[in-house]
Amino acid sequence: MDAVVESWGDILGPQALDLALLGAFMAFALVGFFRKSVRLKYATLVAAVGYMGFWKSRLVSVVDLFAVADLSLPIFKYSLPTYLLWVFAIGSTILWGRLYCGRICAFGALTQLMDPVVPRKMRVEIPVRIEKHANLIKYGLLVGVLAYFLVTRDVSVYRYVEPFWMFGLFGTTGMWIGLAVLLLATVFVRNLYCRFLCPVGAALGLLSNLTVFRIKRWSECSTCKICEKTCEWGAIRGPKIIASECVRCDDCERLYLDQQKCPHWIILRRKGNMFVSTPAR
Amino acid sequence: MKTLKRTPLALIALSLGCGMAVAAAERIFTTPNPAAELKRLFPAAAAFSPLAGEPLHFKAFAADPKANPPAAPIGIAFWTTDLVPQEHGYHGPIHILVGMDMTGVITGAVVTYDSEPYGYFSVEPPKFAAQFKGKSFRDPFRVGADVDAVSRASISIGSAARAIRDSTRIVARQLLPPEAVK
Repeated sequence: MDAVVESWGDILGPQALDLALLGAFMAFALVGFFRKSVRLKYATLVAAVGYMGFWKSRLVSVVDLFAVADLSLPIFKYSLPTYLLWVFAIGSTILWGRLYCGRICAFGALTQLMDPVVPRKMRVEIPVRIEKHANLIKYGLLVGVLAYFLVTRDVSVYRYVEPFWMFGLFGTTGMWIGLAVLLLATVFVRNLYCRFLCPVGAALGLLSNLTVFRIKRWSECSTCKICEKTCEWGAIRGPKIIASECVRCDDCERLYLDQQKCPHWIILRRKGNMFVSTPAR
Repeated sequence: MKTLKRTPLALIALSLGCGMAVAAAERIFTTPNPAAELKRLFPAAAAFSPLAGEPLHFKAFAADPKANPPAAPIGIAFWTTDLVPQEHGYHGPIHILVGMDMTGVITGAVVTYDSEPYGYFSVEPPKFAAQFKGKSFRDPFRVGADVDAVSRASISIGSAARAIRDSTRIVARQLLPPEAVK
């Protein structure tokens, strides 16, 4: 009897389809992101709910933070798609910000897909002073749930701080009731869970302080409020973009590019007109 | 500005937490004396030896081994976590007690502890462990072929199947009579 000898084919074979689909999905998400395309973004969100959610239940979870905390990681060569997702989540956050939250996470995608469906009138805008504090809840939850895990070593606590189990369709009645309440509240408060409660979002929010390629702002942004009002994530306050709250949804960046709406371009055009028209007369 | 000021605090809390975790990482969850599980693997056995030997294992005896001198064991039981400690699922090792008769056929398997996030619908239902009964250490243990795949829990299922495959092969090589392993 010889010990088991595994070939690369034995290791990669069962993971190949998964790796290819996950890679294709992430590439597609990036294309939509770089093109600032609304249609591609919604296509990404639908794919996130369907493929990453209901099909694979592949979401970065607090369990992954537990695994980092107690150094209990899955074996690399047998878990390539999981590691690919982690590398993407961390890498994209360092490069551009919480892109993972805004496009890849199936639950975030699900609540964002409520946007075109739920009538605008039903949405409640949270006052900035409340929102500022509500944003911090997720950091508290992150520290709390990590501490709880380290003391009890009870991984299953993830079910009570995250709704991601819903994509596996296995839950107790209590869990389903909690989820229903959360989704109902999300009808009124946009992306409630992502903005105020998600511990993974909090961890990526901390990481996003390192973000390299940030959204540019014009000097006009210190007085103009168009983007601040458009931002569905409450990530713009006055001239500043709060990196830890921004999920790179493109809404403000599309406004920057819109020469009819963004004051930066309007002012430039007027100045230009003066330049062009003055010598002619 | 408030958020910015609190960020280092949160970072400190996180790194403290990680430190605690590393210190506490030695905790062991294996059932020390799995009498009930052993009985399930070998219902015909009258006695079991304590966990001993290299590799660590229990011997199952049809009659009391002390009363009538050297009775041959009818089977061997062992923890996958003792045999293949490097095997990890999604979050840490899955603890499986495996019973094997002296011809290399698995008499049963019991999952006693795991910390897999999706363990409750993959490796914990008794149906999962039950499918290994009657398999030989020579079987391929390939998920999706002779081991049932569970969608959304491929890492857990893959790890448990490898743990049983590799540990039964080690035990067969080292503890079964040579004619059984030929």
